[in-house]
Amino acid sequence: MTKPWKPKITLFQCQWCLYAEADQHWVDHQLPNNIYLVKVPCTGKISPLYILNAIQGGTDGVLISGCLPEKCHFKEGNLGARRQLDEFSRFLNYIGYEEDRVRFAWLDLQDRGRIQQELARMEKDLLEMGPADKLTTRLPAWEGEDA
Amino acid sequence: MSEIQTLIRDEAVRLLEAHLVDVVVGFKAGTTPLHPQPAFVTNVQEAQNLLMDGFCQNNLATYLTRLPKEQKIGLVARGCETRAAHALVVENQHARDRLYLIGIPCQGILSWRKIEAEVGEDVLSAEETGKTVFIKTRNGNFKLNRQDFIHDTCLHCQHPDPVSPDIMLGDPSPITVPESSDQLVQGFAILKPSERYAYFSQEAERCIRCYACREACPMCYCTECFVDHTSPRWAESMISPSGTHAWHIIRAFHQTGRCVSCGACERACPMDIKMTYLTDKLNLDMRQEYGFEVGMDDASQPPFAAFSLDDKDQFVS
Repeated sequence: MTKPWKPKITLFQCQWCLYAEADQHWVDHQLPNNIYLVKVPCTGKISPLYILNAIQGGTDGVLISGCLPEKCHFKEGNLGARRQLDEFSRFLNYIGYEEDRVRFAWLDLQDRGRIQQELARMEKDLLEMGPADKLTTRLPAWEGEDA
Repeated sequence: MSEIQTLIRDEAVRLLEAHLVDVVVGFKAGTTPLHPQPAFVTNVQEAQNLLMDGFCQNNLATYLTRLPKEQKIGLVARGCETRAAHALVVENQHARDRLYLIGIPCQGILSWRKIEAEVGEDVLSAEETGKTVFIKTRNGNFKLNRQDFIHDTCLHCQHPDPVSPDIMLGDPSPITVPESSDQLVQGFAILKPSERYAYFSQEAERCIRCYACREACPMCYCTECFVDHTSPRWAESMISPSGTHAWHIIRAFHQTGRCVSCGACERACPMDIKMTYLTDKLNLDMRQEYGFEVGMDDASQPPFAAFSLDDKDQFVS
């Protein structure tokens, strides 16, 4: 019997955005198998190439979690990221990629546990959208893939 | 010989004799009729080779970053070339005081592809007078209406006249500037996502990764392009769909708010791949979001070089 399909999600996480230790611990140690974590020092580090590589590598959705615009650890790294990545997602949509597959979550101090909710919401939406079939042009190289 | 040609030669001689520039970058006759080639004129005799007509298809501003930085360059520049030159000055790729812009009006670049498709065989000679193009082939002569053979990008050009050149030769261009340059983008954006993706992948997958578009582009000057990185390997260097998609997406994205819409990439492409529908979209977004038009002066930074707390974005949740 085949297992039910589960969407693969790539989580780009700014290492400062999870204020609650429990959240960070959950992300570091208890992430479900279908979520792939890429930890970055700041959302400003995320190049559009990272996202494109994740998509081409066969991820079904990309979630980027960062600090609220005015609460960046490096003062303004996330502002530059916001301009670029926002435009990049719009650009992907322009060439036919579903916009909803690339999402941002700006987390605040009181957003304890929100990362789990965001991931769950994304997984639910992706289940409805089905597997990504556009731009997924590379051979799957997924950690823990049951091929 | 057209009047503008005489003016360019005289100006080149004047600049070289007065030692105002070290080199004048313009066009000279190429080995085949429809393809004049870039010329680097360093003395008065060579200046007599300079020419300018609708077949000159390169963007000469490309050479600002290819020539030695300390050289004083006199650049024969149409609208798109002046804008590219200004944009390169903004990005500190060439000093404005070592750059002399010889502005000439432009009526749109003629597409050699369209002409060759029309006459159907090799062109022996080509001449352009006013609104007509005369083409000579083995099987006869053709008299073509200039307007029908203008390159697609030039059809919606917003700035055919040079933007703040140091000297303006000839009269401003007689062509009427279209109201908006966005028809192409809007026409594409109303298609269904699956149609858009089909068009994009069909165009991109014809790519043979020769990087002629990169070499022809005035704004592509990185010493190491992202596709040449081997570690990490950002994009496959093969002509696999993965590699060609990545190249076309990221090449366009790196031009956000920097592309001057000259269309040199499309004219250089040996596979006739459409690319300006990508960069035009990004430019349109930059105009709408930040009111930014590239290359209109020597000071405005492109939007991605800056940021603000007040930026709108679609993601805040």
